[in-house]
Amino acid sequence: MSTDQTTSMRRKPRLGAVLWLAFLIFAFAFPYLVDRPKFWIPNIGIKSIWLGVVAMSLVFLNRYVGLLSLAQMTIAGISAYGAGFVIVKMDGPIMMAIPIGLLVGTLAGFLIALVAVRTKAIYFLMITLAIGQVVYSFASQSIEVTNARRGLAPIKREDVGFMHFTELHIFYYVALIVAIGCYVLCRYIAATSFGLALQGIKDSPERMSALGYNVNRYRIAAMTFSSFIASVGGIIMVFDRAQVDPDVVALPATLDILIVAVVGGIGSLSGVFFGALVLTLLDNFSQNLTERYMTLTGLVFIAVLLFAPAGLAGIGKQLSALFARLKGPTIQDAAEADPPQTSPAATAEDAQETQDELSKGSQR
Amino acid sequence: MRQSSLALNVTGLSKSFGGLHAMKSMDLQIQDGERISMIGTNGAGKSTFFNLLAGVFPATTGRIELFGEDVTTLSTAKRAKKGLARTFQTSSLFEQLTAAENVFIALGGVEFNGASLRLALPSSKNILVENRWSRVERLLERVALGDQGSTMVANLSHGEQRQLELAMALALQPKLLMLDEPAAGFSPAERAHLVKILRELPQEITLLLIEHDMDIALATANRVVVMHDGEKILEGSPQEVRSSARVREIYLGGSLDDVA
Repeated sequence: MSTDQTTSMRRKPRLGAVLWLAFLIFAFAFPYLVDRPKFWIPNIGIKSIWLGVVAMSLVFLNRYVGLLSLAQMTIAGISAYGAGFVIVKMDGPIMMAIPIGLLVGTLAGFLIALVAVRTKAIYFLMITLAIGQVVYSFASQSIEVTNARRGLAPIKREDVGFMHFTELHIFYYVALIVAIGCYVLCRYIAATSFGLALQGIKDSPERMSALGYNVNRYRIAAMTFSSFIASVGGIIMVFDRAQVDPDVVALPATLDILIVAVVGGIGSLSGVFFGALVLTLLDNFSQNLTERYMTLTGLVFIAVLLFAPAGLAGIGKQLSALFARLKGPTIQDAAEADPPQTSPAATAEDAQETQDELSKGSQR
Repeated sequence: MRQSSLALNVTGLSKSFGGLHAMKSMDLQIQDGERISMIGTNGAGKSTFFNLLAGVFPATTGRIELFGEDVTTLSTAKRAKKGLARTFQTSSLFEQLTAAENVFIALGGVEFNGASLRLALPSSKNILVENRWSRVERLLERVALGDQGSTMVANLSHGEQRQLELAMALALQPKLLMLDEPAAGFSPAERAHLVKILRELPQEITLLLIEHDMDIALATANRVVVMHDGEKILEGSPQEVRSSARVREIYLGGSLDDVA
């Protein structure tokens, strides 16, 4: 039995790897496959990339730390504002704006983490959402810093040395490579001792503190790291949009990220780019089909939740399980079709129980 | 002099949940290297005492001293760093990781050796990481799981999971090891095996064992504490406890599964 399992386990990633390679080749060939590059590259290509990167920071937190943060788009927006502020208000060069934007975004994420990690489950979700709303009201009202509703504009790309950022193709490839870099970085962090500890915290925070881990400190570190990833997405966004306004940190933008993460597969770091592609395509082409763009997006979202709960990234696995079942069901196939997952609801409940116990204890 | 050889000194410890007095003014002194078993029926306050020592929730009143230091208000993690390790009654292992990875994580809690941002793969060339993996191997061998390192926790048997629990607690190099019903759900053969593992623990580890199972409790301890209704009702050698009419009355008077 064990040999059967190992061969089947070996075969699967190979199929997956082929699919990913195909997607990667598609991504690199994309600017030359489309009929109107001036439309496709920024509106579909680069937008998918930054949506994906921001959603990836959300998936990282959810998959490896068990936290569902709605502040990721807010953090990306703050880094975009940081870069925009340097360019528009201070007339600074792009090479100064980028690091400052990243720094501001990451720092903001760190500060948000300081507050948010003290809460759990639904409260964590609510507090990240609330912080996002605070940032939104600030962005839409502060004339001195954010130009209020008008936003910071124009934020033009400049050529830096031999990098011709003004060239759309170049910008696309740089963004693509940066996104791949973010993915590799996330995978690397997840495979370090630090990353293993994070996964331990996701499974059982009580045990981790009994092992001597300062659970909150690890959560803060993880959120700060994911804020950095989100900030990278924010920087790509600000140069894609050529401006930054309060819409970037508004609720619909936050929900977009959630949709991208869920449609792509909330457990898959790379699936987010599928989700992002679906969203940008819907965003740009659903007007041709219907006036109700949001309704269509909502329907797609529901369809994914119902029929592919593991997202688009999980569809391959679902299909192969389906084929296997058609060929003749075996116990092993059934087990594989339904991979053991720790239910987020269960862990959330556990966390809640401990929380209740604690508050009862401190009330006395 | 005597003070310094105390591993644990608990005075006047109590805990109430709302109107429920789960623990009423408990006193307990444990010498360095002692093996203590705590027995009692369900709801006797054993687990409450355990959680109070581990710092899972704060004490209502009283004081806990660990190796001569007051730890009453310290966090769980800080207590672990002072040499206190525990196992969990209900399995809370990291199910999506292998047995070896579980122990690897356990090793990283107390010591910070700079390996934290290095790849944690067994094939890593980094010396710190390599050292840690070889310690993982030794710990797994110590609890007779040497050949199960690469097995996912979800695929381990119940007994093996309990053994893994023990390996993770030992990874902290504890001075005081608290075991919460380590034999729960064990077959007789597994029980015998566990007793053997526990007896082979280094003598300098102070052991506090909470156990339903009288045989294991009496076989591994040199002192037994009997709890009832949140209070300590008897403390003595296994022989004394075995022959106590009061203990027999509580255990046999209680429901059948309490006798275990």
